[in-house]
Amino acid sequence: MKEEFLLGNGAIALGLLEAGCQIMTSYPGTPSSEILPEVVRFSKAANLNTAIEWSINEKVAFDNAFAAAISGKRAACCMKMVGLNVAADSFMSAAYLGTIGGLVIISCDDPGPHSSQTEQDSRLMARLGKVPVLDPSSPEEAREMIRFAFDLSEEFQVPVLVRPAIRICHARQNIKYGALESNMSPADFKREPTRWASTPKFRLNQHKALNEKHVQIAEKFNTLAPFNQHNLNEERYPFGVVAGGIPAFVVRDLFEDAGRSDIPVLKLGAPYPFPEGLADEFMDACDRVLVIEETDTVIEYMLRDKRKTLGRLSGHVPREGELVPEKIEILLNKALTDCGQAPLSEGDCGKEAFDLVADLGLPIRKPTLCPGCPHRASFYAIRKAMPKAIFPSDIGCYTLGSNLGVVDTVLDMGAGITMASGFWNAYIQDGVKKPIVATMGDSTFFHSGTTALINAVYNNARFVLVILDNHITAMTGMQPSITQGNLVNGGKGNPIALETIVKGCGVDYLKVVDPYDTTHMIQTVKDAYAHVNDPEGGIAVIISRHPCVIGFKDAIPQKIEVRVTDACDDCGFCHQRFECPALVRDADKKKTVIDPVLCVQCGVCLTICPKDAIERV
Amino acid sequence: MKTTNFVLSGLGGQGILFMTKVLAMTALNKGFDILGAETHGMAQRGGSVVSHLKIGPAKSSLIRTKGADFLLSMDESEAYRHLPYLKKGGMLFANARTNAFPDVRVASYLSKMQIVPRAMEAGKAAMEAGSPKSTNLAMIAFYSAFGKGPLNADDLRATVSAISPGAFRELNLTIFDTCYETGRAMVDA
Repeated sequence: MKEEFLLGNGAIALGLLEAGCQIMTSYPGTPSSEILPEVVRFSKAANLNTAIEWSINEKVAFDNAFAAAISGKRAACCMKMVGLNVAADSFMSAAYLGTIGGLVIISCDDPGPHSSQTEQDSRLMARLGKVPVLDPSSPEEAREMIRFAFDLSEEFQVPVLVRPAIRICHARQNIKYGALESNMSPADFKREPTRWASTPKFRLNQHKALNEKHVQIAEKFNTLAPFNQHNLNEERYPFGVVAGGIPAFVVRDLFEDAGRSDIPVLKLGAPYPFPEGLADEFMDACDRVLVIEETDTVIEYMLRDKRKTLGRLSGHVPREGELVPEKIEILLNKALTDCGQAPLSEGDCGKEAFDLVADLGLPIRKPTLCPGCPHRASFYAIRKAMPKAIFPSDIGCYTLGSNLGVVDTVLDMGAGITMASGFWNAYIQDGVKKPIVATMGDSTFFHSGTTALINAVYNNARFVLVILDNHITAMTGMQPSITQGNLVNGGKGNPIALETIVKGCGVDYLKVVDPYDTTHMIQTVKDAYAHVNDPEGGIAVIISRHPCVIGFKDAIPQKIEVRVTDACDDCGFCHQRFECPALVRDADKKKTVIDPVLCVQCGVCLTICPKDAIERV
Repeated sequence: MKTTNFVLSGLGGQGILFMTKVLAMTALNKGFDILGAETHGMAQRGGSVVSHLKIGPAKSSLIRTKGADFLLSMDESEAYRHLPYLKKGGMLFANARTNAFPDVRVASYLSKMQIVPRAMEAGKAAMEAGSPKSTNLAMIAFYSAFGKGPLNADDLRATVSAISPGAFRELNLTIFDTCYETGRAMVDA
């Protein structure tokens, strides 16, 4: 038996391998990104035969796992919750077709949001897609739920969704585990076109069969302790709590601390298909019930009795934001008081201290690009070359280009290009040739940029696209890029050059630059815009290529030490337009200085000072 | 056993997660259950980093406001930012200038909450010893000198010894011992 202080995503990885998962696919995204690397780590340590891949996007990951599952293997795919939107078409259809081997989808939610564009609740996707869903309350429970999910998936031949929220993924817990073994089940796809390639007529039958499965699964969920469980032991209670996921264990800890064994709790870790029988027992025993769940109203709607139920709909639970423990304490105190019960605590839950801290004027620490980041150099050059353009951008580290005034829009993966063509169309209708510079990272371009670019070329849109090629998926933890050919299992893939894809999308104008040479890049952007404006021209693409300074040791080929001279007149230009953390304003000297600890000696700042006050040492 | 709650705070790059690891591994060796919560992703790019660690039978990972027994901070501002998490009678340890900590504006709150602030120039101590990156270990040693909580100084020192890379082991232990003595001197005073 081993024991580790495992990340929740590690506990999930362990659960996958303990369940005999043979095929695992994923696209990285916070908070899901560490699951796949942890599967690799455990799989290698135990010398398992697990097939693991970083797929190009979530839909591709899903379809790969699905095909393996209907061949009889146990397969899983992992993503962040907005990734499930990308895979939604497959997800919904797969529920109708069902599976043979266990198929488990892990969609990690981000209430907060800490690192996402929405706070969407994957349990709602499960309802929409008619896919059973499990909602763990701790890393250990997530591990157990994964194993159960595979069994459930095979018993009813349905895909099963597990949705750990960020406080599972990025929690750590001591977890004991034993030996892991390879699952040797062979692939054995049995042709059955009426099932796997079914036409609408058969789809109706499949829908009916799925609904019938749900009745049976709901029945199973009625007695699914400890995932679904209440602790009623008296006839009647004035007040009870229904909770799912992370809030269920937060409530348990709060009640434990406050010594409140008088309030019963119904924990719903498997909320859909809804366990009506279990819920009815609880509702019948309680006069009022408070529902605490993240982040939407899944259980609350399914309880149905709105005269008895408090929650988001009654205004007792916030409709947005993470339900951190003090928020739950505050809302429990209010609900208990409203129902004539004693609150958990009399205190202010930290309000006085928060007010005090707010008045201290502590430094605001907004996220920023790293010192030496090639994206900073690219953004600086783009803005210099085309200050009046619209800047549609995309999702990745480079979203932080908003600090530099070169990111005007961020919608979703791939929208840097689609919105560029959309802006072009909107203006050209009025006869205006609006300058537009779109930016997108290399990994995002592979994820969903190509269809966007083909569409824009075909439909005569005109803009400059700068692909920020740093050879890596940096924001989510340095996953390898498709251009590099490094597979996650240590083997070699077939690398694909961005140039090939861009030209294949029908783009004639393509330049490759190193953004560290800002002077050259500024000129390249201007030239590209001239092509866009040329009646015979078209879309111009620039690949701005320089490796990530965190991901690659040799990303700065020549270290250049710099200093700020007395010519610095404290104008602040470098802070606003370049925002390198190593350029620090010295309040006493009233000028900018270099922080030698943070500076990585990339030398890019040598060209950016309008007063020429930065020079080589 | 009652759960003991630690909040560790600082800035990206200061080794907060490594600090958590030292506490967690020590607790693991003692056979305690542990639960922690970390900062990842976008929030990690140059921002405040905070780590919550519960030692004991807790079920949920995040510590609530007024729930922490100990707040260890690698940075003075980040100590104040997380002050609401410290419980009445909790202990505050900060990497800060001894004679200027705490800010006068929080003094009356601390005394009302019966929180005794303790500061040590851990960064300076680690720098002088020749390893500025070991400031996190310096803070753990400083905390351990006060003998509070379920983890004692000898056990923490043993963990530091076990997980320091070979070349840094002696140096880290020297820093640990120096900062432990700094703390002991305050206890004795």
